[in-house]
Amino acid sequence: MKEKYIGQRVTRPDALAKVTGQAQFAADIAVHRDDLLHAKALYPPYGHARILSIDTSEAEHMPGVVCVMTAKDLPAGCTNKYGADEPDKPIFAENKIVYEGDAVAAVAAETLAQAEAAAAKIRVTYESLPAYEDPRELRETYPSPIHENHPISGQSPVSLSATVRNGDPGPAFEQADVVLDHWYRTPMADHAYLEPDVCIVEPDPVQGGFTIWSPQHAVQNAKQDMAKLFGLPQSKVRVIGTLAGGGFGGKEDSTYDVSTVAAALAMKTGKPVSFEFTRDEVFRNTGKRHAEQIHHRLAADKEGNILAIDVDAVIDKGAYRSVDILPYRGSYYAGGPYKIPVSHAKAESVFTNHPYGCAFRGLGVPQATFAMEGQMDYLAAELGMDPLQLRLKNIARAGDRLHMGQVMLEERGLGLEECLLKAADAIGWKDRAKTGYYDNRGTVKRGKGIACFLYGIGTGSSPDGAHCLVQAQRDGSFNVQVSQSELGQGLLAAMSQIAADALGVTLDKIQVDYADTAASLLAGPTTSSRSTMYVGNALLSACKILTDRFLGYAEGVLRVGKSNLAIEDNMVMVKGKPETAVPLAEIVEGAYTAQIPLAAIGSWYPPRVFFNEDMTNDQMHTYTFGACAVEIAVDTETGIIAVERCLLAADVGKAINPDTVEGQMQGGLTQGIGWSVMEEIFMENGRMKNHSYHDYLIPTAMDVPDMETIIVEHPSDLGPCGAKGIGEPPLVATAPAIRSAFWDATGIFIDEIPLTPVRVMKALKRKDCAE
Amino acid sequence: MAIVSFILNGKPVSCDVPAEETLVDTIRRRFKLTGTKKGCGTGDCGACTVLLDGDAVRSCTLLTGMVHGRSVTTIEGVGTMDRLHPVQQAFVDVNAIQCGYCIPGMVLTAIALLNRNPDPDEAEIREAISGNLCRCTGYQKIVEAISLAAKRMREAGEEAAR
Repeated sequence: MKEKYIGQRVTRPDALAKVTGQAQFAADIAVHRDDLLHAKALYPPYGHARILSIDTSEAEHMPGVVCVMTAKDLPAGCTNKYGADEPDKPIFAENKIVYEGDAVAAVAAETLAQAEAAAAKIRVTYESLPAYEDPRELRETYPSPIHENHPISGQSPVSLSATVRNGDPGPAFEQADVVLDHWYRTPMADHAYLEPDVCIVEPDPVQGGFTIWSPQHAVQNAKQDMAKLFGLPQSKVRVIGTLAGGGFGGKEDSTYDVSTVAAALAMKTGKPVSFEFTRDEVFRNTGKRHAEQIHHRLAADKEGNILAIDVDAVIDKGAYRSVDILPYRGSYYAGGPYKIPVSHAKAESVFTNHPYGCAFRGLGVPQATFAMEGQMDYLAAELGMDPLQLRLKNIARAGDRLHMGQVMLEERGLGLEECLLKAADAIGWKDRAKTGYYDNRGTVKRGKGIACFLYGIGTGSSPDGAHCLVQAQRDGSFNVQVSQSELGQGLLAAMSQIAADALGVTLDKIQVDYADTAASLLAGPTTSSRSTMYVGNALLSACKILTDRFLGYAEGVLRVGKSNLAIEDNMVMVKGKPETAVPLAEIVEGAYTAQIPLAAIGSWYPPRVFFNEDMTNDQMHTYTFGACAVEIAVDTETGIIAVERCLLAADVGKAINPDTVEGQMQGGLTQGIGWSVMEEIFMENGRMKNHSYHDYLIPTAMDVPDMETIIVEHPSDLGPCGAKGIGEPPLVATAPAIRSAFWDATGIFIDEIPLTPVRVMKALKRKDCAE
Repeated sequence: MAIVSFILNGKPVSCDVPAEETLVDTIRRRFKLTGTKKGCGTGDCGACTVLLDGDAVRSCTLLTGMVHGRSVTTIEGVGTMDRLHPVQQAFVDVNAIQCGYCIPGMVLTAIALLNRNPDPDEAEIREAISGNLCRCTGYQKIVEAISLAAKRMREAGEEAAR
């Protein structure tokens, strides 16, 4: 395969439509339709309460109202339980609400204003219950005061628990020269995608079932989960993923929070219904990054070799299970990218009256990395070692084992050392004074920090396979049909580039049919940074089947064996003799006439890997690696941290499109800065106190510096052209790098983020008192 | 209800709107110009930015009645797919676009900036767009695009002057 487009800065196919405002998002599609009913749901003013009564009579008689629904009005066959992993969340609460985002009732009306007016007339009486918010306390509280009978967890306060047991850490901790014992805390965070959750649901009067238009991470999963919820055959639900105005993992679940309500109303009324959250509802109702409290113990010898870790992570699950692979990932990533011979790493997710914890860029790995990298800096300080050298000494190289026993393989691309060295070089690590803060006089103190990570590509749950359909048209153009979503990450560009090179055609011949369950095959979600690698590979396989067929047919036309033929620039040509060529269109047309099928299914499965019972062994087959380095300025009078430089060296295997890879890196770093120094959700009695962009601050253009990006390419033998994945990794090590720089600047370790002015001032004051 | 007359993308329009209606809803729902996005409705995110007599304003915190007699430009009024405004062209050329939800507002804010300051430095660009939130790009390529557009527009201006 000639790489004509792969590796190039190809312009995104969606760029023109987006820059002119012509690209339609789901809310825009709704504006252009005049046959829709508009929905508004009612949410409780409590985080935890019993529902005593609901009176919808006044609302039902309001102008324009077509339907008012509560749990008792749901269509027959509806289970009233949904969720991305396991169904446990009701469309409408029945007896009790367990967080602010539990819908109690909903209205469908001719106009949105009418729906809003009617929803305001629904009378609900509640009995307020105490809100439970501390997962460390709750995990010892049996039965759970939140879910009286959870469909999966029963009366347990724990949603899921997982433990890596690799040897006995006891002796290692007894023999260690250094034992570090610290609690790390990371906050809940909102995805803050700019496009509020929205959908249109339209019943199908011809064949039954319904169609959903909404921004999606996983149309095939939504099809399955929505059908299950309403007791329909899965074949009867069609899901069309519209261009998503950002997702970052959140819309994997939050899309259900709107589409379940709209689907219930649509089925009841037989009419198409649109439902869009306000920004306030996005904040209060949708999933969040899981807050974690991680108790991390680490044993090391005086040379800085890590002997063992013993970790206990408590994860704030929030009210519902949602994506609850967090405990697995919390234990799996507890040791970072280091060789560690002995490990005991436990992680548990515990129900609270908070918004449910869901997927958010990195899915538990940023939390685990914050703790492990924090330990590395403590260890460097304890031993008086350079933090960079300590990391270089401990990172797992080919043949080394991670803490859960996985052996690192050179052929999967191990670029971490190069990332660390390049990041250190770029940030000017050599100039970093050993304990820089001694020379840091004045009120503004500067410091440099570095942190590194690994991030497994794919969900880690077997089989995790990907499939796609490629159809040749008789004019030599191609439809590439993938179920993945365009969330802004650059799916359309990457898929077009891979397909065009694999087929030997120009980019203009490729049409990517994306995110429509009626025009794609099961391929797993657009999450876990897997699309380029998994679907890219499936695409290569389909293209190979087709090109083999067409070259086979061309043998008879050009009278040359197919091993001597190639397709380039839309021409089938004899290798080395480009003058002997026939347009591909003629070959496809001829093949069609000769009754050769013009469509092919491509499939790719990652290597099957399973945990042992003690969770040792491999799960992730390929890792993206990276090192984040920052330089910050701490204003000791205000507590404000300015991130003055931020750079990431990432081993992506192969950059299919360097522009979109850089875009992912720059955007991920920026979200990482937000999570490190700004973003924090405040809950009080189960209610969110900051639920607008006005008081939940995300980085603006003035809060971040130029993002410096260094692409490192150690190819994985499994990836298309060696590519791994880059969607999530850029955010993973930003927080520990900033914490490290804060230590360099002030001599103080803070084990809790975000490093907001309040937290910084407190830490500075503590130090002043100590001195 | 009150009749409001204004210039929308160069053409005179009138509509009969309730006093509490905001401009973003008028533009989107009455005139079906959906390039203007609504991200928050509270004036915080900037996705609904339009030009009001050339200034970048947030249409979600502006009552429609307040634009009577004035000129409103939305993203649909600055360039088309086959004839981009130089700012739009620069966004495309540096691949500054990801999900695209903030982009119409970002482009209009940039146009307003370059109209009053044809040669902004990086800090001035960052300040100008600091009211336009973007959650995807980290702003880097957007800043680069605005800078590139400024350069191209200055060069085109000098060319025309010659």
